[in-house]
Amino acid sequence: MDFSIASILLLDGITNGAIYALLGLATVLVFTVTRVIFIPQGEFVAYGALTLAMLQSGKTPGTVWLLLILAFVAACIELIACWRHHHNVSRAVRSAFKILVFPLFISLTTIWVAPQMFPLWLQAIISVAIVTAFGPLIYRVAYQSLEDATPLVLLIVSVGVHFAMTGFGLLFFGAEGFRNPSFWDDRFAIGSVTLSGQAIIILISTLALIVMLWLYFERSLSGKALRATAVNRTGARLMGITSHTSGQLVFLMAALIGALSGLLIGPTTTMFYDSGFLIGLKGFVAAVIAGLASYPGALLGALVVGIIEAFGAFWASAFKEVIVFTLILPILLIRSLRSGHADEGH
Amino acid sequence: MNKQKIFISLLAISIPAIALLPLPDFWIVQLNYIGLYALVCLGLVLLTGVGGLTSFGQAAFVGIGAYTTAWLTLNTGISPWITLFIGLGLTAISALVIGTITLRMSGHYLPLATIAWGLSLYYLMGNLDELGKYDGLLGLKSLSLGSVNIGQGRMFFVLTWTILIVAAIALLNLLDSRAGRAIRSLKAGSLMAEAMGINTFRYKVTIFLIAALFASVAGWLMAHFQRTVNPSAFGLKMGIEYLFMAVIGGVGYVWGAFVGAGLIKLLDDYLQVALPALIGTSGSYEVIVFGIAMVLVLKYLPNGIWSLVANKLPSPPRKIDWHDAKPLSTRTKPALGELVLKVEKIRKQFGGLTAVNDISFDIHAGQIVGLIGPNGAGKSTTFNLITGVMPKTTGQVFYRGQDISAAPSRVIARQGMARTFQHVKMLNDMTVLENVALGAYTRGHCGVISSMLRTNKNEEQRFMKEAQQQLERIGMGQYLHELAGNLAMGPQRLMEIARALCCDPALLLLDEPAAGLRHKEKQELIKILRQLKNEGMSILLVEHDMDLVMNVCDHLVVMEFGTLLTQGTPSEIQASPAVRAAYLGMEH
Amino acid sequence: MKNKKTLLALAFTALTSTNALADIKIGVSLSLTGPGSGLGIPMQKQLQLFPKTIAGEKITLIVLDDATDPGKGSSNARRFVKEDKVDVIYGSSITAVAAAMTEITSEAGTTQVAGSPVGLPPGKDKWLFRLAQSNSVMAHALVEHMKKQGVKSVGFLGYTDAYGQQWLDAISPELDKAGIKLVGIERFARTDTSVTPQAIKLTSANPNAILVVASGSGAAMPQLGLVERGYKGKVYQTHAAATPDLSRLGGKSVEGTFVVSGPALLGDQLPDNHPSKKLALDFVQKFENEFGANSRNQFAGHAYDFQVAMEKAIPLALKKAKPGTAEFRSAIRDSLETMGRTVFAHGVMNWTPTDHWGYTIETGVMTKVVDGKFKVE
Repeated sequence: MDFSIASILLLDGITNGAIYALLGLATVLVFTVTRVIFIPQGEFVAYGALTLAMLQSGKTPGTVWLLLILAFVAACIELIACWRHHHNVSRAVRSAFKILVFPLFISLTTIWVAPQMFPLWLQAIISVAIVTAFGPLIYRVAYQSLEDATPLVLLIVSVGVHFAMTGFGLLFFGAEGFRNPSFWDDRFAIGSVTLSGQAIIILISTLALIVMLWLYFERSLSGKALRATAVNRTGARLMGITSHTSGQLVFLMAALIGALSGLLIGPTTTMFYDSGFLIGLKGFVAAVIAGLASYPGALLGALVVGIIEAFGAFWASAFKEVIVFTLILPILLIRSLRSGHADEGH
Repeated sequence: MNKQKIFISLLAISIPAIALLPLPDFWIVQLNYIGLYALVCLGLVLLTGVGGLTSFGQAAFVGIGAYTTAWLTLNTGISPWITLFIGLGLTAISALVIGTITLRMSGHYLPLATIAWGLSLYYLMGNLDELGKYDGLLGLKSLSLGSVNIGQGRMFFVLTWTILIVAAIALLNLLDSRAGRAIRSLKAGSLMAEAMGINTFRYKVTIFLIAALFASVAGWLMAHFQRTVNPSAFGLKMGIEYLFMAVIGGVGYVWGAFVGAGLIKLLDDYLQVALPALIGTSGSYEVIVFGIAMVLVLKYLPNGIWSLVANKLPSPPRKIDWHDAKPLSTRTKPALGELVLKVEKIRKQFGGLTAVNDISFDIHAGQIVGLIGPNGAGKSTTFNLITGVMPKTTGQVFYRGQDISAAPSRVIARQGMARTFQHVKMLNDMTVLENVALGAYTRGHCGVISSMLRTNKNEEQRFMKEAQQQLERIGMGQYLHELAGNLAMGPQRLMEIARALCCDPALLLLDEPAAGLRHKEKQELIKILRQLKNEGMSILLVEHDMDLVMNVCDHLVVMEFGTLLTQGTPSEIQASPAVRAAYLGMEH
Repeated sequence: MKNKKTLLALAFTALTSTNALADIKIGVSLSLTGPGSGLGIPMQKQLQLFPKTIAGEKITLIVLDDATDPGKGSSNARRFVKEDKVDVIYGSSITAVAAAMTEITSEAGTTQVAGSPVGLPPGKDKWLFRLAQSNSVMAHALVEHMKKQGVKSVGFLGYTDAYGQQWLDAISPELDKAGIKLVGIERFARTDTSVTPQAIKLTSANPNAILVVASGSGAAMPQLGLVERGYKGKVYQTHAAATPDLSRLGGKSVEGTFVVSGPALLGDQLPDNHPSKKLALDFVQKFENEFGANSRNQFAGHAYDFQVAMEKAIPLALKKAKPGTAEFRSAIRDSLETMGRTVFAHGVMNWTPTDHWGYTIETGVMTKVVDGKFKVE
């Protein structure tokens, strides 16, 4: 192992780590606001990449049908819940309609656009829009009524959602893999290391997203409202911040981040319907290293995971996964001991 | 209890009956699979349903049991009946190692850890040459008893389900015992359990071990049923499926394991054929249904399907058969006036904030001492320091001459200091009698094994008798068989006191016992406290209700901003201008 | 009048129901999901073209997914044998799964035709017939080609699963025999996000050739990783990569790759005197008619050969027994053993009571990727 190899591995680790960082951030985000440990975060990545892949081949991506079904289910649930709460039919219909509007719009647009082979960047935007629309819908259908449940129950629900999304992924995308064209094909040589344009885009996007998230939470009113909900749900509600909206908003952001990650990673690797799980899991490891609480910690953790994975693959490629997942155990232990005797009463 | 015995006997008889019926062979195959899965789920009922420790990694223990018997029977000539125990041994070792590390984690860190080691073990098993890597090991023989081949059919069914029923009975016995009550208290958080003298960590490791052993037996059976072992059956996906089965069936109920395993297996089989026909292409789409079912169950039926049945079935009150039970041993109580508790300059600092500032006071036998002060004075913190819940920064506490400054709360409980809590901590789905019997934990010794084998009957009767006596002592005799969750606030607080009394304490520590009580109930409380005092009990009371405090306490300790303001009799305190200023502010 | 009609109706139903009893049921267990899906799905596609009747008897195919899990495979086998009571079983596309199924099928006395080269201890394959070339056959062809190309050192980049392991086990002795050194063994997973570390390690050893062992669309990424690291040597792929997915995902970077394959894919390139030419052409034509040009697939070829085997064996078995009986199941096995020299799309085979194995060592054909198509070398 000489310096040039080490630097290549380091770069590879950082590039992958950047993606894990995005997912780790999304995981921390969702957890701090809703107490949901969102295991299916990786599925958004797969959906994003595969939706774009299908658009690239001129077909209507199956995600559109799933989106429509989900939107209708969410609208029905909203209709019934709203009617039960307010006993006002028109109000119920209106709130149900609000749920339907965007998904319907984006689905119809996609069905029209699909055969027309628009340029890559436009298709990318559409893919992101489709997958992002999933976020609030999933929250509405699976999690909203469980707002007061313990994190353990929410974790099990997340596993259920993960299974469902993976199964649907298989149904809509098939078992074979896809690759998306790179957004920037050039390669740059820095010393002995070649930096691909795609890697640069990944790193820049990650940094940009982190900065934007930071600004959002520090400077904007709705960002602060989300933080309030994370600290004390009831208190925030007393201040007029509905936890429904917070939850849906944060899931929207998670889906957005996931979809973007899918676009970023699509060109560098072959994506299968089940690729999302392991990617999401590693981002999740990063989030846990950060105690599911701190964003810079998640970033750091993700880079550590990516680098360990790269070097581990170099030294003992057959045991790469064992290394990564066994390492999480002492970290979890340290984290848990540090967070003290928070007697949650399960 | 009797109804359950009848049910179990029926089940036991039906096993050979089913084996003899001319059922289609395929049904027997299904029942065999269901039995295997139910055994694993039974472990999960104990671990997750009762103990509150979510584990996604049970499949890895199934794998250890399966691989052990596979490798040994293929490479050495050892009989499978012996490899069962070797497998159990290996599983026990790994469970102890993994458990001691991961069970120190709280909340949601534990399930994450189980995912982590589930994945690690899977990749490890898939990469070892001796275990056949991802191909696994093939060509295992069926089990045989002497010259009789048990095979994969009806005889195997009898074997598996007998083991299953025995395990279920053992579990039911366990849950209704001293150890069982300790295990059931784990879910409510360790604070109360430790205060009752229970070593919560040891019990967590114990139930983890039991669940792992159940899984190991299931693995052994599975290996000789499928005659092949392969890592994918022991990976994370299967681990999640076991949890699914348990949760959907009802993870808090022993019978939930049966229902869950049965339902999921049958559904899985049905969907495997039906879904592709419905959708038009072949593939494994059952996961979609399972995922959605999981979410629906947790939303609308969080206690699982068996909860529907359990709610309909009336649970008869416990038969009182302990009239002749010998009383539990009691400890020697201090003489009247003897120094029971000496608190010497205890201090608690949180960074720059001094919450408790060198507090000192004494309690003598037969005294009721009240710890009072305005809100935020540090009373509860002081309380927690004395009872060993929180570590002190400096200072010492002596109980009847013994230095308990560094002792954890369960050691303190064993010495004879019992407490109640500001927010009542009890187990809602246990009866009042059982909740109170939990308090007597330190006075018994029957462990997990004797509980499972029901050799602890004697001790149980003594416990129940003691619990009944304590309840009658404070006037709660009519609530014996009521579910604790059904009680109103007043009786709940009294029940906590009865539970504390079961510890046979010389010093009772009550944290805001009158909070939330109505006037009449407060009168009752005063009467009980006076009665206890007359019987020689020492009591330390933290309270806000001035009437009650002035009425019942012999000595008052007043705190303000973490510091001891003054001490004295109630009349002295009432007259003190400093106290008045602390509570009401300075007069301008 | 009414009575006559009812009689006729009764007779008709009686006839059709006895016909229903005479349906030939074939149980199929394939890996349609999981790591083996690249092999299973093309087989399933081909089976959609399976004839509806053979020798006048209706054929019912029951297709189940075993998710590349031997446990599931054996439970599928149990279902076929106990519940569906099938006459013959085809499965699985993965050796480990097929081996697990054999335990059940041999006990139940049902013939199992495996689409994968299942290795079993001698005597255990009484009821098992293999239609696929073993990895050793394919490895032999690969290594012969390497010898001709003057390759002296080889690097291995394969899946961390059973397929990768079996290829490693198959090719190591062949390389030894040919005096070619195996200088590096790296593993990766189908869903990995990058193989850069493994690629670096291999390319730094600078072997003359690198063998990529992966299947279907998973075969492209490792090769792209190698190209990205600037590897200029020869790249070899296994027969599981002989699919259009390789070029679809690999594009220009996979041009010039050497891929070993069975003859079924190469009908139009085989010499006229090659015995399998006719069947290979027939297979490719029918498959691509249904599923699109250039969609031909190595493993679908095995499923086609299953059809050929059944079309020859079933009429023979029908002479001896009726479908749905133990005798029929036994008769199918006997027919396969005694029907003699049979031409398949993938070559020529001759099963005998003592040899249920597949093709001889010369069956593998080397191809090269040229313009996204596989051209015989």
